[in-house]
This record gives sequence, C-alpha cells and structure tokens, in this order.
Amino acid sequence: MSAVNYAETELQDARSRVHLEGHPVHPLPVPERALQYRESILAGIIPHEAELTAGVTITPGQSYGFFTDTSLCIGCKACEVACKEWNNLPADEIGLTGQSYDNTGRLSALTWRHVEFIEQPGRATSMPAFQSHWLMMSDVCKHCANAGCLEACPTGALFRTEFDTVVVQQDVCNGCGYCVPSCPFGVIETNKLDGKAHKCTLCYDRLKGGLEPACAKSCPTNSIQFGPLDDLTRRAEQRVKDLHALGVDNAYLYGTRGGPGATGGIGRLNAFFLLLDRPEAYNLPAAPTLPSTRVRSGLLAGLATMAGLTLAAVAAFAAGRRDR
Amino acid sequence: MSRETPMYGRREARGGGLWSGDGQTVPYSGESYYGRPALKPSHYRWLITGYLFAGGLAGASQIIATVADLVGRRGDRGVVRAGRYVALLGALVSPIFLILDLHTPKRWYNMMRIFRSSSPMSIGSWTLAAFGTLSGVAATGQVLEDLTAARVGRWTARLAGIPAAVAGAVMSCYTGSLLSATSVPFWAAVYRLLPPLFGTSAMSTAAAATSLAIDAAGAGEHARRSMEKIALVASTGELALTLACDWEWRRRGAATPLNEHPKVGLAYRFGVLGLGIVVPLFIHAIQTLTGRRSATATRLASISALVGGFIQRAVLTFGGNSSAARAEDYLRFTQPGQEVSGNGRAGQRVLA
Repeated sequence: MSAVNYAETELQDARSRVHLEGHPVHPLPVPERALQYRESILAGIIPHEAELTAGVTITPGQSYGFFTDTSLCIGCKACEVACKEWNNLPADEIGLTGQSYDNTGRLSALTWRHVEFIEQPGRATSMPAFQSHWLMMSDVCKHCANAGCLEACPTGALFRTEFDTVVVQQDVCNGCGYCVPSCPFGVIETNKLDGKAHKCTLCYDRLKGGLEPACAKSCPTNSIQFGPLDDLTRRAEQRVKDLHALGVDNAYLYGTRGGPGATGGIGRLNAFFLLLDRPEAYNLPAAPTLPSTRVRSGLLAGLATMAGLTLAAVAAFAAGRRDR
Repeated sequence: MSRETPMYGRREARGGGLWSGDGQTVPYSGESYYGRPALKPSHYRWLITGYLFAGGLAGASQIIATVADLVGRRGDRGVVRAGRYVALLGALVSPIFLILDLHTPKRWYNMMRIFRSSSPMSIGSWTLAAFGTLSGVAATGQVLEDLTAARVGRWTARLAGIPAAVAGAVMSCYTGSLLSATSVPFWAAVYRLLPPLFGTSAMSTAAAATSLAIDAAGAGEHARRSMEKIALVASTGELALTLACDWEWRRRGAATPLNEHPKVGLAYRFGVLGLGIVVPLFIHAIQTLTGRRSATATRLASISALVGGFIQRAVLTFGGNSSAARAEDYLRFTQPGQEVSGNGRAGQRVLA
C-alpha cells in the first residue's frame, strides 16, 4: 500500500508545481495509468509507453518530431548516451577537442545526437542569472519536410515513414554517398565500416512499439520534447512568449514554417529548435535551400548547350558538302 | 529572392545580443561553432573525377559520331568509327568507376530499383544504363561494317546511334547538375553554369580524342577541318562559361577553394584555364584564321585539351570537398536573401 501512497504523493506534488515562483511552467500531464506500473522490474513492455513518458499516443499517419529547447539544456549528454545505447552505436574518436566540454565534436554516422557547448564572452566578469552565458544545444537530424538527403537518394533507401520522419533502409543503401553533401545541415554520413549511410531514425523502431524516442525520454530537463508536430509547435511558440516575458529577448524558433532554417523549399523541420543566439553560432545555416530545387534549371541549361554544340557540329560537317 | 530580415528573438529588444537596436539583426560576421564544418564533404575523389571526365567524353563522342554519320561526307567515316569506339570505351569504364566508388559495390543494382527525377544520381544511373546499352549496339554495328562492309552494320549503328547520341547529350552535362544539386557552396553557386560548362568541356575533350584517333588512322582534310571547327566552338564556349563561373563564385563568396587551397588554385589556373582552354583555343584559332594547319600543333592542342579537361573535373571535385569543409563559407552562402534556389517545384510536398 505504501507504494500507491508514494506514487499518489508524487502526482500531487507534480500538479502543485504548475506555478514556480510566479513563473509559468508547463508540466506534461501525468496520466493516471502510470499508477498501474509500480514494480521496479516489469513483466513486459508497457503498451503505448509514450503516453506515460511524453503524454503522446503514437499513431501511424501523424507527423512527429522533436522540439529541442536549448534554453533548458544543461549539457548532461544523457541524450547522446541514450541514443548510443538504444541504437547500439560505438564511439567515434576518443580524445579531447579542446572545445569546451564538447569532445563528441559533430553528428556522424555513429553519433545521432550531439551536444554543443558554447561558452560566450562576458562570463568571467558578469554572471547573469540566465545560464551564465553558456549555451548548450543538443543537435540532431532535422527530419526536413522536404529532405535534401531523401530527394538525392537514387536507390530509395532513404524514405519517409508513417510518422513523417526520414529513415535510411540499411538493407537497400549501397553507400553511393550522394545524400552526404546534399544534406543542408551536414547531418547524414556514410560509415566506412559497413558501407552504408546512417543518421538519426527518430527511433523508428521505438515509435513502432509505442515508445518515445530514447533521447527525449532520457532528457532530464525536457529540453528535448517529443510529440505530434502541431502540439510541439504550439508548445514551442508559448515557450518563446514565456521567455520573452521573462526578459530573454533573444529566444526564437529555428525550423518552424516561415522561420529561419525552414527556407528555400525545405518547408519546415520536424526536429526544430529554440535558440538563444544567431543560428550560425550553433553552426546552423540561417537560410538553407533544398538542393533538388537546382536540378531542373541546370539540366535544361546543359541540354540547351548540348543542342547548340550539336548544331555547330552539323554545320561543321555539312560545310563544303556539295563538293562531295 | 528578397526576403525579410529574420526575426532572431523579440523585435522590441533594445540593443545587445542579436539586435543592433534599430530593429535590425546584427549582420553575420563570420562566426561558427569552433570553425567545425557545417556540411559533410562528399567522399568523391579520383574515381568520380575519372567518371566525370570519361562519361562526358563518351557522351559527346557519340554525338560527334552520329552527326558525322548523318551529315558527313564519305571521307568522314573515320570520324564515325572513332566516335563510336571512343563512346563504347567510355561507356565501359564509366560504370566500373562508379561501382568501385560505392561503399557497398555489390549492391550497385539498387540504382535500378527506382527512378527519382529530383536526384541527378538517379537520372545519371538510368542515362548511363541506356547510353551504355545503345553505345554497345552502335559499336557492334560499327564492327560489323568495318569487318564485312555489310549495310546491316551501318544501319544498326545508325539506328542505335541516334538515341545513343540523345543519351550522350544528357551524359555530357548532367554531371554538372549532380554536383550543383548539393549544399556545397562551390558547386551550388554555379548551378545554372556547371551543366553547360561540363557540356562544352565534354565536347572539346571528345573532339580532341576523336581528332587524335582519326589522325592516327589517317583521315581526310574535311574530317580534320570539321573536328577543328567543333573544337574551336566548344573551347570558346568553355572559356566563356569558365569566366562566368569565376564571376559567380566570387560574387557568392564561394571562390575560396581556388584562392586558398594551394593545389586546387594552381590546377585551376594552369590546368583548367591554361592547358584545357587557352592552349587549344590559341592553336585552333591561329590555324583557322591563317588556314594553315600543322598536324603536330593539332595533336598538341588535342592532348592539352584532354589533360586540361581531366584537371577541370578534378578541380571541381576536390574544390567542392574543400568548400564543404569551410563552415564560414557555407554559413555566409546561406545568409537570408542570398539563397541559391532554383524553381523550387521539384517534387515538393505542399504543407497543410
């Protein structure tokens, strides 16, 4: 009985914290069904576990994504670890980069979450209450609405899932590597060890099993939020308003429709971000473009040139033809 | 193209951070995340350089052969023969280069699994398959004609050669789209110029290869003069397009591989411009203007054009990889209002 009381107290506690020192807080609803799973070791997987961990019922046919709120990130790298563990990804290089606490360095074929650490000047002399001028950001594949990698893929290995995410089919990819320079965000990469392209799958396997993606589930500050895109966007817009009200004027969304990052035919990013400095500070392009928009006009110009050269060749061979 | 200044945060914010205080965002001044690459460079190296060269050369050779076959004189048969065989040779080595470049070569046939019009890699795979097959049939017809002088040989070659030449036109220029339909500034900046540039270069190298072949086989005066005219036109076009690319690279701030990468810069000035364009153009122009021809000078022009054409593909390949690795280049290239975007209709979803 004590276990039930404990869980109920926890629930009460969470509900009472809705307003923290007068600042608006938006806790995720804690569903009553959570009380059914009190044991430390469960008999099997929890059906629709994402309902308990993210308040989301995962339904095929809906658009899902990540809202990565960098104002909440504490740089714990739990997302990196959770991703490596769930997806069974080995470490990249082992060593020190000398770049703040970032020894991961970059997203790669083997690293699908990457926490950036940006130590901003002014920290030593003045320490404003907000994050001490230290920006952290957990980067990930953007799962673009119009994805450069997918449109470049000649084998159909890259495809759009029933959750509106972009995934590489490892049994189809032949490692041509064309998706790599096509990605406007430098995310996807080929792995020399197995000869295929790899990137974040937005935990396609977990979504199919009703589980929240590993990184989002492990995030202790809810900096990484998983959910249906409309819902996430609403939450993100509210968060920006709240931050502005708190005096964090620099907060803005990167990757929502019409915003920076969702330009040039890309449409929107299913994994979008709340940023606190200009996109370039995080190595994100301010106004990227969808590479495949450049195919048609270039190809037509090339074919017109070939038609002209062919006519020149016709003229060259036809010249003086009468004195055959 | 014109776009509003992006809203980085609240517009009412007065000074500090991202805002200069007059309602404008502070302009980009070159910052990046520790200078780490914002893009992943391609893995393309010498095999792809070889394909960009051989594929284009083969495609344009088939065009030359077909034109010589249809409108040439009896004395131009040597051009037809040379063009068909060069095209076959190119069509044979091209898939070898491409398959060897795959990280999983044994799965090459997955290229034939789908057709995707938004991917030049897919367009190219199917074009190469068609070009290779048709060029094989045309060359078989040519062998038949050469060995037995049978009419059926010439007609087989002719019937396969016409569609092969059409595929050859795509082969000549699509590789320009292959590079420019990526995010790499050095390639994307010249997306309308690169396919025509590769097309003219394909034609000048094909003319050079064919010219060397007919020279060895002992061709007639009309054939030689025709080849010189084609080379002259192609090289002139190549010069104009190279200068246009140069201008565009500088305008878009994407010229750094040429200026700051020592080997690429050197190869560009001496190989691409010097050997590939100026030397052959000079020789062909002098010979055309004076009406006097030297077999040695023509041979020199041809070899120079071939070497320069290969170096051009290498400069484009390696220059692109160098460009992709420079964070500041890409982040500057993607500033609002500077976007290099085509018609934006290529198979895109309409968002609800």
